[in-house]
Amino acid sequence: MSEAPHTRPRRARVLLTLARALLPIAVAAAILVVLPPLWFEDSPYTTGLAVEALVFGCYAVGFNLIFGSTNQLFLCVGALAGVGGYATAILSDKASLPLAVGVAIGTVSAAIVGGVLSWIAVRRSLNVIFTGIVTLVFSLAFTNFIIGQRDLTGADTGYVLQGAATDLADDRIGGYYLFVALLVGLLIVFRVLQLSHVGWAFKALRDDEVAAELAGVDVARYRIYAAVVGSAMIGLTGGLFAYSLGFISPVTYGFAQVDVQVLIIVAFGGLGTLLGPVVGAAAFGFLDRALTDSGQLREAYYGAFVIAIFLFLRRGVIPFVLGLFDRLAALRRRSQRMEGATPGRAER
Amino acid sequence: MKAVILDGIVLGLGFGLLGVGLTLVYGLGGVLNLAYGEIAIFGAIVVSQAMDRGAPTLVAAAIGMLAAAGLSVLLDLTLMRPVYRQTGEERTLLGLLLTLGVAFVIVGLLNWKYPTGALYIFVGGDPISIAGVPMAAGSVWASVIALGVAGVLLLFFGLTTFGRGVRSVIQDETGARLVGISPSLVRTVIFALSGGLAGLVAVTRSMSAPLTVTAGFDLTTFALIVAVVGGLGSVAGAFLAGVLLGIVDNVSAHYIGEYITAIVLLAAAAGTILIRPRGLLGR
Repeated sequence: MSEAPHTRPRRARVLLTLARALLPIAVAAAILVVLPPLWFEDSPYTTGLAVEALVFGCYAVGFNLIFGSTNQLFLCVGALAGVGGYATAILSDKASLPLAVGVAIGTVSAAIVGGVLSWIAVRRSLNVIFTGIVTLVFSLAFTNFIIGQRDLTGADTGYVLQGAATDLADDRIGGYYLFVALLVGLLIVFRVLQLSHVGWAFKALRDDEVAAELAGVDVARYRIYAAVVGSAMIGLTGGLFAYSLGFISPVTYGFAQVDVQVLIIVAFGGLGTLLGPVVGAAAFGFLDRALTDSGQLREAYYGAFVIAIFLFLRRGVIPFVLGLFDRLAALRRRSQRMEGATPGRAER
Repeated sequence: MKAVILDGIVLGLGFGLLGVGLTLVYGLGGVLNLAYGEIAIFGAIVVSQAMDRGAPTLVAAAIGMLAAAGLSVLLDLTLMRPVYRQTGEERTLLGLLLTLGVAFVIVGLLNWKYPTGALYIFVGGDPISIAGVPMAAGSVWASVIALGVAGVLLLFFGLTTFGRGVRSVIQDETGARLVGISPSLVRTVIFALSGGLAGLVAVTRSMSAPLTVTAGFDLTTFALIVAVVGGLGSVAGAFLAGVLLGIVDNVSAHYIGEYITAIVLLAAAAGTILIRPRGLLGR
């Protein structure tokens, strides 16, 4: 505390900016924290669904960083999570390493795999669709690989983790708070990236890749960067999810089960927005619960909902709401201007 | 060796037929129809229902193809309109998401109505000998149909005026409109053709193994891979890619082992895309 007094206002300003930047995350976190006592604490079933929604929210933050910020359609979210999940499971179970080491190695492996995929896509300058297909092919190959390594992974029958902690299980409130903490942590990382020079580079390359390159943004480097960080997020989530579920199988990380859902969640919330993944995951969590009793028609309702959303909310919820605010503010500004221009009439 | 390659070609012609319907729709303005596999399954269920009610196989197959074509046209006339009003990547993404929703609706309804529905068309007769290799009659007929379709499509796009009109829309939508071709009419026709092809895929596939209600998703992903490897929008490319992947699949299944095969196949697909990002015959 020996700084000169004149630096203090600047520091206060920086702190204020930071506080304002993190405010949406704080609000979301507060809502998530008070939700269980108000609603579903006693129901393991609903808690389980809530944990799943949170896990999908975490996947979606990672996917949003990769696709929403740098336009790389990574259709291998499930596979990256699976890299994290199976590494965690096998290392802490079979090699009896501490759980934290297993999760760490799983996270790093997912980051490396994501980075390599992105490097390939950037080097071959693949466009959105082709990046999507190459990563989709990787996903399918990964699933086949897991099924093939029967001795290690248990193939289709799945793999039971011996060391999973029961109080963090996915139908317990401990599991719920574990993933709330993870989601908030990932959101903070996302926000900090958004505010740093990296965020500016992301915005520039999303708007116009060629212009960004001409302005001196190293597009390739930032793409790989986003893929590495996003994949690490996904791998970490996958590893912790394995630990919380206590049981994993290829379906836990399957393409149809994870990637399709994550794409819809992120597109629904709003591509590239901070809270889009959270809003999307929450909406589909509610939908999941609402459709519990509809039995075999579940998928049909789900599809109809997806169609309706994307027909009417093309850019997603968050951009829609922000646009509404903008329009309201513009309206108010205009009416103020009109009052200001004709002061006499207002008084009369 | 000869038998392995020949089997691979038979398998690959099926792959090609699967990819071609998807590639045609993509060619028209970059929309990937993710409901493609489900449309095929819808056709299959219609065929099996018609056969249960006593229709002769050929008639039932024709009804199924027409039904699939009708569903595809319905998709074009309703949900695809807002998609084609967008441009560029927004069009691609909206197209993906809406057709994904459609896929869920179709598979959900079919699962609800016909949970155990499946189509299996038994083709009797002795194995047919080709170049000294005996082949099952069902797969031979499936290949003949696939080859016939490839020939007809290539002739259609190469020689007829309408086919050239379609190709002009694929190459340049604005230019096509300037010379008096209606892109929306062309699209409707192509959606019908694509749907009919999906129905035909269902029929030919069910000639060698039963096709169940749940197979739609796998059909879509594989059609996607074949279409991309062949070059999106290219009819000949889809068949070429199909045959190459079929041969790779069979050779590796025979010499390396069943379990590795799927990975070898996917690696071959990924490798081709990386070496030639436009696909084998893509522009």
